[in-house]
Amino acid sequence: MKRVKNFFRYDNAGLFFILPAFLYMMFFVGYPIISNIILSFQNVSVRNLVNGQKKFIGFANYSEIFQDAVFRKAMGNTLLFTVACLLFQFLIGFVLALLFNKNFTFAKTIRGLTMIPWMMPMTVTALMFKFMFSTDVGIINYILRSSHLISENIEWLTTPGTAMIAVVAANVWIGIPFNTILISTGLTTIPQELYESAAVDGANAWQRLVKITLPLLRPTIESVLVLGFIYTFKVYDLVYVMTEGGPVNSTHLLSTYSYKLSFDMFQYSKGASVANVLFLILLLVGMLYLKITMRGEED
Amino acid sequence: MEEKRLNPKKNTLFCIISVVILVILLFPLFWTLITSFKTEKEIFQIPPTWYPHVLNTKSYAAQIETGDFNMFKSFFNSFVISMGAMLISVVLAVPASYAIARYRFVGRKAMLLGFLVTQMLPVSVLLTPMFIMFRNLKMYNTWGASILADATIGIPFSVLILKNYFASIPKALEEAAYIDGCTRMSAFMRILVPVAKPGVIVCAIFSFLYAWGDLAYGMTFILDQEKRPITAGIFNFMGQYGTKWSYLTAFAIVAIIPVTLIFIFMQKYIISGMTNGAVKG
Repeated sequence: MKRVKNFFRYDNAGLFFILPAFLYMMFFVGYPIISNIILSFQNVSVRNLVNGQKKFIGFANYSEIFQDAVFRKAMGNTLLFTVACLLFQFLIGFVLALLFNKNFTFAKTIRGLTMIPWMMPMTVTALMFKFMFSTDVGIINYILRSSHLISENIEWLTTPGTAMIAVVAANVWIGIPFNTILISTGLTTIPQELYESAAVDGANAWQRLVKITLPLLRPTIESVLVLGFIYTFKVYDLVYVMTEGGPVNSTHLLSTYSYKLSFDMFQYSKGASVANVLFLILLLVGMLYLKITMRGEED
Repeated sequence: MEEKRLNPKKNTLFCIISVVILVILLFPLFWTLITSFKTEKEIFQIPPTWYPHVLNTKSYAAQIETGDFNMFKSFFNSFVISMGAMLISVVLAVPASYAIARYRFVGRKAMLLGFLVTQMLPVSVLLTPMFIMFRNLKMYNTWGASILADATIGIPFSVLILKNYFASIPKALEEAAYIDGCTRMSAFMRILVPVAKPGVIVCAIFSFLYAWGDLAYGMTFILDQEKRPITAGIFNFMGQYGTKWSYLTAFAIVAIIPVTLIFIFMQKYIISGMTNGAVKG
């Protein structure tokens, strides 16, 4: 008894404070992760989901999904979607951060207001962009037509190819604030004197950007890109509400395809394997992120 | 490190540029708001009108009347679910983050890593196992399922944010409390939590917002439309009446009322949450 008491006397007293949260997460997240892995090695469909014999079939689901044309398409789409989103939201976010770091009258207020898209429920964002990209009433077609860029309405969401553009646009809209705010914060850590002395030495704005801002901002840029990758790679609601993966699977991502397999086609085990592939990729990228942020930090 | 003021000419130029950018960025919201007050006929009009020529409030009125267009119930469901998830997240995450910030207990690093990893988790990994679990717990098709699932997003986020707040509180404050006869528990409740209050508010806001924006859990764990959150209600409605844009946009506006209120009254907390949560996350 005394030994137990001594164990909890100092640092281990922390366990009392953390265990409720930790056990909660073990029960509602840890256990599901494990059971999803088990599920992916079984043959669970709607017939034997709740009760009934579940058979272990080894890697059969995984080898099946890797042969599956839709899965391969979804994998390609996910990469394309992620890279396209990261590129645009980073570039726009970077320019906005540079702008808002100038000390003009409305800078803080307007930077604050540009955060609004990030807070919107994804379902609402998806609805707004579906409306703007719709063929006959869509404002985007109207603007393109009245500026004579197109002569006939584009069927954005029902044509493979253009549908991807629409979902990327919607996701970039959500991602811009996140990039702006993080880069903005990073910029404030660069000492102002560096710019002043560079200006004295005759460096122009471009040189100051390339020689001072970018190298010193490198840790921030790395974090923003890796975090952006993690958030974008697993996007689900936005695409599901806008296109449900269509037309002809052209916007299916790993997340939406996994949902479709499990909850539309009731092939739970196959859906679980797709989800696990997605998770594994995120985990690898996540480890990279931890390596970056933990650099030089002992805990 | 106050940056030097810009000259008046440049100042005006930057102000104009940034206002133009803001207008472009927030255009989707403006357009949705305008559309929600138009009649169906006016929505389909070409060229589009930039403000409602005939004011139509039917799309809002229908939301509190009985029938297919009633979103009031869904709004209420969302509110209960989000408040529940927020409460669980805050109650569990506040002590947990204090422990991580202050104590070097066994398994600390592993637990911290665990919270970090859950932030990277795609929902699709959890959906089927949680679905089975809630059926076994007899919680399938109840608010409770959504609340418990949504809290799993709020908890890790809150723990990671709050640990920085607790770590920044001077140790001396806590030690003084012990000398005055406080136990660990009472020092935590009466001294530390009040000092970390801004952080607690950030966590509450984000836990609420995460739950409010959730679609996957609400749609998968709740079957009856009467119990589903507003996001699922909107999604359902889109499937049934895909082109009734006056109603759809009105639903969208109603769904973002809490978000807008939070933004107006708690902006500084949001910026703090976005930067702390991500950089240190």
